[in-house]
Amino acid sequence: MIAALLLLIPFLTALLLVTMRPTQARPIALVASLASLAVVLFAWISYTGGTVIHYDYDWVNAWGLRFVVGYDGVGLLMVILTAVVFPFIIGAGYGQPEDRPALFNGLLLFTQSFLYLVFLAQNALLFYIGYELTLIPVFFLLLFWGGADRRAITVRFFIYTLVGGLSLLFGIVYLLIQSGGNGDFTALANLSIPTSTQLWLFWALFLAFAIKLPIFPFHSWQPETYYMAPIQGTMVLGAVMLKMGLYGVYKLVFPIVPAGVEHWQTTVIVLALIGAVYGGVIAFRQSDFKRLVAFSSLSHVGVLCAGLFAWNTYGISGSFYQAFAHAILVLGMLYLVGAMQERTGTTDMGAMGGLKGHAPRLAALFLLVLVNAVALPLTQSFVGEWLMFAGLWQVNGWLTLFALTTIVIGAIYMLYAYQRVMLGPDRANVTLQDAGMRDHLYLVPLIAVTLILGVYPGPILELVDAPVQQLLSSLSVH
Amino acid sequence: MEEGIITAIRIVPLEHYILLSFLLFSIGAAGVVFRRNTIIILMCLELMFNSVNLLLTAFSAHHSDPRAQVFVFFIMLVAAAEVTVGLSILVMMKRNVDSVDVNQLNRLKG
Amino acid sequence: MNQDLLAALVPALPLMGAIILASLRRKLSTNAAGGLATALMAGAFVCSILLFMGFDATTGGRTVKLLDWIHVGSMEIPLALRIDALSLTMMLIVTGIGSLIHLYSIGYMHEDERAPTFFAQLNLFSFAMLMLVMGSNFLITFIGWEGVGLCSYLLIGFWYKTPEYNYAARKAFVMNRIGDVGMVLAMVLLFQRFGTLEYATIMDAATGFNDPMMIAATLFLFIGATGKSAQIPLFTWLPDAMAGPTPVSALIHAATMVTAGIFLTVRSSVLFELAPFTQDIILWIGTATALIAASIGLFQNDIKKVLAYSTVSQLGYMFVALGLGSYSAAMFHVTTHAFFKALLFLGAGSVIHALGGEQDIRKMGGLKGHIKITFLTFFIGTIAISGLPLMSGFFSKDLIMAFAFDRSPVLFALLLIGALMTTFYMFRLLFLVFYGKYRGNAHPHESPLSMTLPLMVLAVLSVVGGLLNLPHLFGGHEAMKHFLMSAADGISNESLELSHVTEWTLMGITTALVAVMIYIAYGRFAQKATLEGNEADMPFFKRLIAQRWRVDELYRALFEKPYAWLSTNLFSIAEQKVMVPIMNGVGAAANSLGDGFRRLQTGYVSFHMLAMLAGLILFLVITLMSN
Repeated sequence: MIAALLLLIPFLTALLLVTMRPTQARPIALVASLASLAVVLFAWISYTGGTVIHYDYDWVNAWGLRFVVGYDGVGLLMVILTAVVFPFIIGAGYGQPEDRPALFNGLLLFTQSFLYLVFLAQNALLFYIGYELTLIPVFFLLLFWGGADRRAITVRFFIYTLVGGLSLLFGIVYLLIQSGGNGDFTALANLSIPTSTQLWLFWALFLAFAIKLPIFPFHSWQPETYYMAPIQGTMVLGAVMLKMGLYGVYKLVFPIVPAGVEHWQTTVIVLALIGAVYGGVIAFRQSDFKRLVAFSSLSHVGVLCAGLFAWNTYGISGSFYQAFAHAILVLGMLYLVGAMQERTGTTDMGAMGGLKGHAPRLAALFLLVLVNAVALPLTQSFVGEWLMFAGLWQVNGWLTLFALTTIVIGAIYMLYAYQRVMLGPDRANVTLQDAGMRDHLYLVPLIAVTLILGVYPGPILELVDAPVQQLLSSLSVH
Repeated sequence: MEEGIITAIRIVPLEHYILLSFLLFSIGAAGVVFRRNTIIILMCLELMFNSVNLLLTAFSAHHSDPRAQVFVFFIMLVAAAEVTVGLSILVMMKRNVDSVDVNQLNRLKG
Repeated sequence: MNQDLLAALVPALPLMGAIILASLRRKLSTNAAGGLATALMAGAFVCSILLFMGFDATTGGRTVKLLDWIHVGSMEIPLALRIDALSLTMMLIVTGIGSLIHLYSIGYMHEDERAPTFFAQLNLFSFAMLMLVMGSNFLITFIGWEGVGLCSYLLIGFWYKTPEYNYAARKAFVMNRIGDVGMVLAMVLLFQRFGTLEYATIMDAATGFNDPMMIAATLFLFIGATGKSAQIPLFTWLPDAMAGPTPVSALIHAATMVTAGIFLTVRSSVLFELAPFTQDIILWIGTATALIAASIGLFQNDIKKVLAYSTVSQLGYMFVALGLGSYSAAMFHVTTHAFFKALLFLGAGSVIHALGGEQDIRKMGGLKGHIKITFLTFFIGTIAISGLPLMSGFFSKDLIMAFAFDRSPVLFALLLIGALMTTFYMFRLLFLVFYGKYRGNAHPHESPLSMTLPLMVLAVLSVVGGLLNLPHLFGGHEAMKHFLMSAADGISNESLELSHVTEWTLMGITTALVAVMIYIAYGRFAQKATLEGNEADMPFFKRLIAQRWRVDELYRALFEKPYAWLSTNLFSIAEQKVMVPIMNGVGAAANSLGDGFRRLQTGYVSFHMLAMLAGLILFLVITLMSN
């Protein structure tokens, strides 16, 4: 029931919006996303551990495609993340002029529905179908509502992710042949694939996720796409889409090609950390606020991926915890970008500065979002980062040191950005609207989530802890 | 009476049927590939169909298996339908480009 | 009252204040906001005193668990507070001096329209600092550790309209963050080794270990300490931090936050005792910092900068004590320094207030007649820091010097030079500000009672503070040392084996030389009507010192500029010229592949037919061959 509601509420609402084009599209979409949030919260409360399978139907058995949906703790966390994030994404549209709102919000809800499919799927092909389906609404979101140069950038983004997707499909098909046509994750995890095969199969499977995340050097689509996309499109990409990469690694790479992971672990961590430092260093001198957020996201994701590949309890739990934190952070940062753009008409920080005098409340909200961005203790990000660093240390001390440079780099670019936007002498003849009801309604819940989960991370960590332990212990048996 | 036909067919050795239908098929294939007149191409297609039909009938008789003859009926049915479509394309082609030369239809050139 | 509740109240009160003030900052007047903040701090102070009274040193201490914080796998890190001799000492300093400075701020910030925000941040700082000293494990300490960094950033950049202040604030935060990297490394290392971060457990379990890992862990901790406590090489942020309002300088950048590094080292004294190598490094870095900072102090012309470098230098002394393994001496100096340095900063604030914002000592002079209370208290602060006999600074500094002499006379001599420089620049400051003739053109006026009252209280403390740890030599019995011994095991290893004669001699030499320095300073600065201050006229070496050894310039050339260059060029070259073209290459490859196949589409039906036929035959052949 829960799974059906999750998949259908956004999907049917989206169909309604796209076909009927009602004028009150945004409230309808918001109600739908809140309804699905309620369903997810109910699922969370009634979750008692283990893997819950909601449906198990045969579909196209000859291909190994079966409709199996359900979740374990990590899957549930991802579902919660999706459910929490979408009301904000839809809410970010309030007060902003926008053409064809029905189509826009319909596409958003389609994305949400497909994302649920990805996080609920317990069958590799079903996962793949959802994974590629999410691209379609996002493609149109970028193409119709993007900024300058959107056509070229969108097509580039699309091709690039498709290349990754193809490699993933190839890997899955190979696995299906090996397993005799059973594509369920449980069956795939039980395969014993020779180590020499795992070495290349790892990349066939991981490439798609490496591009989606993205990690260095597969990241080049990301900054430009984030910059060009409409704010809400960037939110979808940054807050949830990239988490599919993490989840994919957890679901499709770790249990299936453990020997490949063991062999490539250090390589991936080093690449991810290079990306983290690279993105962070570049972010420092970016003059455009939105691009800065894009590069900072690149930097954060690098650490996320490194933590994941630490491949131990702390690293993986921390990475998923941080995934949640990062989603909240991306929403906050991008909302601020939008708020500044709405007020100043640009995202160029060169044209800002000295705005705190005019908009002290907005500055305070910015600061509170920023506190999470630099992972100060008692915010959500700190818990994640601490766990990841503890996990990385068990792999290699030097890598930990390397990863830790990002906390300095992060502070450098974030504070500089804050200064360039908000601080400095008051601007003459500028009238700027301070943060109003709408901004508070949007940002205060985000900040509250950040602080509450920073002080009391138990509920989320509990979700992640058991499945990660189980995964690791099943690997050590192999 | 049926027995008589089958016996009659069996008088000719199977190899001859195979050779004949091979020749017919080759003539048809060559015609499809080399001729430019669409009517001729359609006729050559029919020729190929019929060579196959011939072969199927011959095999059926020689192996005393009626199933092949069922296929012949399917093929004749499909061929009839195909000719209908083919001829209507031909008529449209004549109307649109005022020619029955297939090489006039090169808009799909990459 | 319940001890656990009291312990929780100590950080909770300022936190409450911060939240209330931040949310009502538009509706409250300065007096209301300041009154609330001060009252809450005073409440925390009262709670601390009650805790202190109910504390039984023989039990070692108690842990108050508030809630489970991080619990993953075998990692259990509770949100818990630790009440023992060490945290109580620090709590009393933080809340006590904090309350005074809050009170002082009501007067000082009276005319600032953002005063409620100021008090909110000051309260938030107090909360973070209390978490730092009260945490029962490294990670809770780290909450405070980073929290004070944030508040320091906010308060240094409080007057956000001046770009230089914002730069100073960022610099402070980033330098602290560099130190934090060391702290995090130490924590992950210790966690890996001990499976926990609880102080009590680690210190009990550590006693057997003596290996390179322990050296690494302590070195990392020390890196963290250099960031927070402004030691070489991370000391340049502290003088810049004087951009903040003066009460901030007094509370954060003199009395409390900057002593966090010393606190942490004392907290982990067991670990440091196991790593003599680290102790040596601490010793020499402390000495170098003490000397270099003191030398810079000789030539500064900004009243707050002088005090800032003096703070760096005094922190150096504390680290020398830590390096010598005399943790009680370090804590003693932390305490007395908190008294007299807070006093000096607040006095400086009072002077600045009196002159309407003037900070340049070349434009002061002769103020002792105008602002008598400020003068008297500042005078007491000056003699206390200079270590005139029987002042608090005398006892604490002398203890460190005695330990140093016990180690090596050379070290003693170096520290003596530092102490003499301290005396010289402090009296130079005193004479230039309060003696001679007034060189400015403002109308000096004494500060209100809310400002002078804290001055007077601190002045008394600066005089009598030495009694806290009165040495045997003067009939005391080192009360503080014995009190702290229950909390920091390292203290029990301390031993000072000097005869009383030697101690008297050292004291005599020091005092005599200090007196000489005062005389020289009096002669040179007391009657100055005008001041030369042109750096260009100075000889090279003197100019180098006056320009702060050009460390800021060095760092700028070595780190800031290359970093900015790297940032710009990584984007414009690596990203745009390399990475993006590579990615476009993928698209281009797909394109040219399609271009190749396009040529197959001749558009001739017969060609397609032929191709089909050929394919069919090929397929047949392959099938037949494979059978």
